[in-house]
Amino acid sequence: MRSRTLFLTNLLALALIVSACAPAVTSASQSRSGDAPGSVKLNASGATFPQPLYEDWAFAYNQLDPSVEINYAGGGSGQGIKDIKAGTVDFAGSDALLKDSDYSEAPNLQMIPTVAGAVALAFNVKGITTSITLDAETVAQIYLGKIEKWSDPALAKLNPGVSFPDTPINVVHRSDGSGTTNIFTLYLSAVSLEWKQGPGAGTAVDWPVDKLGRGQGGKGNPGVAAAIQNTNGAIGYVELAYAKTNNILYAKMINAAGKTVEASIPSTVAAIQDARFDDKLTAVIVNRQEPAAWPIAGFTYLIVNKDYKDCKKASKLVGFINWALTNPGAVDRASKLLYAPLPKEAQPKVLETVNKITCDGKPVATK
Amino acid sequence: MNTPAARRWTGAAARERKRRLVNILMLGLTGLATLLALVPLAWILAEVVARGSSALNVEFLTQTFKPTSLGGGGIWHAIVGTAILVGLASLLAVPIGILAAFYVVAHPNSAMGLAVRFGTDVLSGLPSIVVGLFIYTVLVIERGYSAWAGSLALAILMLPVVTRTTEEMLKLTPQSLREASLGLGAPEWKTTFSVMLPAALTGVVTGLMLAVARVSGETAPLLFTALGSNNLSVALDKPMASLPLTLFKYAVDPSKTRNAQAWAIALVIVALVLFLNIGARLIAMWRSRMMR
Amino acid sequence: MISTQPRATRPASSPVVRALQHGDIPYRGVIALSALAILGLVVGVGVMLWIYSEPTRVAAGWSFVVETEWNPVGEVFGAAPFILGTLNTSLVALIVAFPLGLGVAIFLAELCPIRLRALLGFMVELLAAIPSVVYGAWGIFVFIPAFVQPLGDFLMNKFGNPSRFPFLPIFQGPFFGASTLAAGLILAVMILPTISAISRDVLLAVPRAQREAALALGSTRWETIWQVVLPYGLSGILGGIILGLGRALGETMAVTMVIGNVSQISASLLSPGYSMASVIANEWGESRTPMYASALIEIGLLLFVTSLLLNIVARLLVWSVSRRNPDAGGGRA
Repeated sequence: MRSRTLFLTNLLALALIVSACAPAVTSASQSRSGDAPGSVKLNASGATFPQPLYEDWAFAYNQLDPSVEINYAGGGSGQGIKDIKAGTVDFAGSDALLKDSDYSEAPNLQMIPTVAGAVALAFNVKGITTSITLDAETVAQIYLGKIEKWSDPALAKLNPGVSFPDTPINVVHRSDGSGTTNIFTLYLSAVSLEWKQGPGAGTAVDWPVDKLGRGQGGKGNPGVAAAIQNTNGAIGYVELAYAKTNNILYAKMINAAGKTVEASIPSTVAAIQDARFDDKLTAVIVNRQEPAAWPIAGFTYLIVNKDYKDCKKASKLVGFINWALTNPGAVDRASKLLYAPLPKEAQPKVLETVNKITCDGKPVATK
Repeated sequence: MNTPAARRWTGAAARERKRRLVNILMLGLTGLATLLALVPLAWILAEVVARGSSALNVEFLTQTFKPTSLGGGGIWHAIVGTAILVGLASLLAVPIGILAAFYVVAHPNSAMGLAVRFGTDVLSGLPSIVVGLFIYTVLVIERGYSAWAGSLALAILMLPVVTRTTEEMLKLTPQSLREASLGLGAPEWKTTFSVMLPAALTGVVTGLMLAVARVSGETAPLLFTALGSNNLSVALDKPMASLPLTLFKYAVDPSKTRNAQAWAIALVIVALVLFLNIGARLIAMWRSRMMR
Repeated sequence: MISTQPRATRPASSPVVRALQHGDIPYRGVIALSALAILGLVVGVGVMLWIYSEPTRVAAGWSFVVETEWNPVGEVFGAAPFILGTLNTSLVALIVAFPLGLGVAIFLAELCPIRLRALLGFMVELLAAIPSVVYGAWGIFVFIPAFVQPLGDFLMNKFGNPSRFPFLPIFQGPFFGASTLAAGLILAVMILPTISAISRDVLLAVPRAQREAALALGSTRWETIWQVVLPYGLSGILGGIILGLGRALGETMAVTMVIGNVSQISASLLSPGYSMASVIANEWGESRTPMYASALIEIGLLLFVTSLLLNIVARLLVWSVSRRNPDAGGGRA
């Protein structure tokens, strides 16, 4: 009897040990065979701005190269930056730019622009069934809390044919650290001195509407879109794809050139005309003077390490990014989801930086 | 006034009537309270079934994640993930819980025994997000998000349930069994494992069922331990999908497809939880009938 | 093991070896270790939270608890909005759940036919088995539109006019559905089973003699309950309420999904709010700086300490009732 109990306990212990070692064992064998399906898992978190696109790309790339499985967990640019600095993910997505302090804490980081997207002002008001037009000052006043109801004359002035109800405006913003917020507040700071001196720009700001009881926080772009959908009288800023695919109405804007534009691929492409990338490969494109430009546009970036310890992962990652930026099918998928690809002039410099990624000091790319 | 009508509302007879009225009123209110308490249960179950059944089909249960542009896919990766997370957590929680219960039953009045009973109660009352934070500081900071971390967090939540139910079952087992075994010269451990434990087995099983029911729906502790995933994975040192995490993500999503999928996941989880709870209760009833 | 060999011819082995072969010492060691593991976990959670919250504790001290601004970008961390939010939602939950839960307990313990008692009691307890995230989804898509929105609109229109009711800020608008009220009501449904289960056990533990004496003196059923049974079990019922409060404080998912996630202190139940558990769940993923992470961990520490204290008080209260009547069941959770 004693031996049977001992045997069972030993079996249990063995099972636990084996299951703990199994990942090590299997990954060792797979690095030899290399191309077993799902053998290279890349983990990422970060911006929800490009998330629909990254999930789509990950799925498509996995069809192309089944050995690579990319898990993009989202969570907001703030989470992405935190995770890549801590090393708990292989790469991150962010529309917020890394600060000097981030670079000094983690000098191994590199930002890679992938696509540009439009931030749209989506709204949900019972009784309004078509898009409305807003301008910079009105949006700033709404977010400053000065315009309180949809029936405000400022809105009527911009939309002569529309009959607005007397509903209070519920202003939705992000509850997490967000690159989308960064793009939006950069725009507000550019067009409104009051905003620039007040809440200012950043991934998370003090929203004046919260003090007035008319603010609401949503987690991630999906959270904001969902909050808008579920609240009568709501308005909020989301990446265009979230408004379009879920049939939420979004506003046209009067841009810096005085023209009324709609959030779309053409207006986003116009916004990235002649965009200047600095030496960190970042560029800000809000409130541009181009006549057809969407005023609230922004690039989104991948944050990668300049040097990786795991060569298999590094080479697969470089392959994926090259595919995403140059493969016509990948570029096409981006456009379908309403993200504008990088301007042609910027591509060579970006690809050069990507192919400089090293593994233990040795460059990874074969080209 | 001393008319017959007035006499009905004054005096001892009137006070009697008033007391009877109050009696019926208040007792009726308690019945109403019970009905009212059951309304949310019926409502939630009805909604979960009504809204969840539209998206629930074989493809949904057997496919993994696909982007909404390609139809939305299914939850197989989440089902596997939950099975692994809960299974591993059970492997950790059940042995420790049973052994700790033996200790408490063996030393019911010692300081340590009382402390452990108290500790079990405290552990069961801990907010699950605090447990997630704890595991993050212990495991995730060094090694990243992993299924191990998620399982450990769930194991901590299961432990008090297993310990408590085992303890109660052991207390119900007649002392005479234990005394007979010890009298025949068997060592303590043999008495426990070969005599007491089989007698208390139904208690252990129901405890495990209730513990599994409790953690199958837990989301908060997994938010920063297992993190969640869109891919099918059995790697224990990587993030892992789970049903409640996927439910959360899909519910707070603007896409109607995802919302419908969220309800379907809710239906799966609620069905599992109900099955386990009702099953555990039925086993306990069968058990008490057997013991009579 | 009983040896059958005569004592003189048994091989000489040390007492230690014999004890180990007997198996009791390793056995006792293993179960003691497991018991210690439970205690160790409770202590360990507290210790880790204490250690990792050090930056904010040292920098801000007690002012962390009263500071009303939460601005991670400006590195100002004040927990007051979340503490107040948690308290508000829990209070609303208790005010709604206590009378209902007590009513259910009285019905089940005193009035219900015995055959129905187990079934109805079990059904009420099933409310506690439904996961928090399912409550949250139900809250967003069903409960808020169908119940909370009309209720809130009614309260706002009737009582929320600042000029007519200047001293009643709790129902002042504007109201958009996601609010402290919504979170409080859903929490009420979630903690009702806790309150009713413990109260029911407490009421069942009151000796029959007490009831029979009162009835013999001519009380109605209700008077017996109200004047004799309830006072007898009062401390236990109080314990149940405190346990319900403890559960409400720590609820994360359901609250996060319906409270609005706005870190502003407001006197109105109809405005959005934030709770301690929700802010940890929402903002943990991106707490970039050590101070930010430490501030969130300190909030977790506050939750831990509060739930610990509430548990201690509640268990003591419930045990005190069962000790008066040792053959009735007490201390259930």
